[in-house]
Amino acid sequence: MTTIDGTAVKHVVVACEAGMGSSVLLTNQLAKRLSTYGVTVSHSPVNRLTDDTGDVVLCHAGLAGRAQQAAPGTPVLAFNLFMGDPAFDKLEAVIRDGGTLDA
Amino acid sequence: MPDTTSDTTPLLLREGVLLGLATTDRTDAVRQAGQVLVDIDAVEPAYVDSMHEREAMVSSFVGEGFAIPHGTDEGRALVRRASLAFLQFPEGVDWAGQTAYVAIAIAAAEDEHMGVMSRLAQVLLEPDTAERLRTTDDPEEVLALLAPDPTDPTH
Repeated sequence: MTTIDGTAVKHVVVACEAGMGSSVLLTNQLAKRLSTYGVTVSHSPVNRLTDDTGDVVLCHAGLAGRAQQAAPGTPVLAFNLFMGDPAFDKLEAVIRDGGTLDA
Repeated sequence: MPDTTSDTTPLLLREGVLLGLATTDRTDAVRQAGQVLVDIDAVEPAYVDSMHEREAMVSSFVGEGFAIPHGTDEGRALVRRASLAFLQFPEGVDWAGQTAYVAIAIAAAEDEHMGVMSRLAQVLLEPDTAERLRTTDDPEEVLALLAPDPTDPTH
């Protein structure tokens, strides 16, 4: 399990299979939310992830295994719902308040 | 964000908006959505197979009764022209346990569709707009509601 302190998160990557659909939508929604904290958000196909892509990877639970394999040293936070998943609130909370993100 | 505004051709055109459709299930809805992309010459027919493949990995349902079927990373090679198609199923269709009323099919080789996706991301947070898209019988309204916001910095 890889951990990171929320205050060290500067760049979040949203990964999905193609990096064409759902990750693009989510990137748009999260970028607005997290820009308040100076955090940037981008999107990537899961197979093109590396440990240099971002500080934290967000991806659908069904792809989390592949994401972790592609970026073994980066915390991977899995979600099930594209809208309103508690994972997004958790991420925002540790970025805002600090604390360990264990994903 | 890369500059994706140089090509000003809208990705969603009138010919890509089909309202009041009927479907039997999610597989059929994805097939119909893919066929529209083929019909408007946006993708090679094999792209539709990659849409089914992608759908089998993770459902493309994104909330508010919307699904966004699209191909796999490898399927990008089968895209001729970045395009979207809007298919409305007023009676709804079971989409991996959720009910979808709209399928927005995506064909993109790169990030040409950022502007319209940014708008869609916003629409999904506006319940009244999402409801209009689920129920309208006017294609022009769909085009107007999904037109990229020119003031959006990601566009």
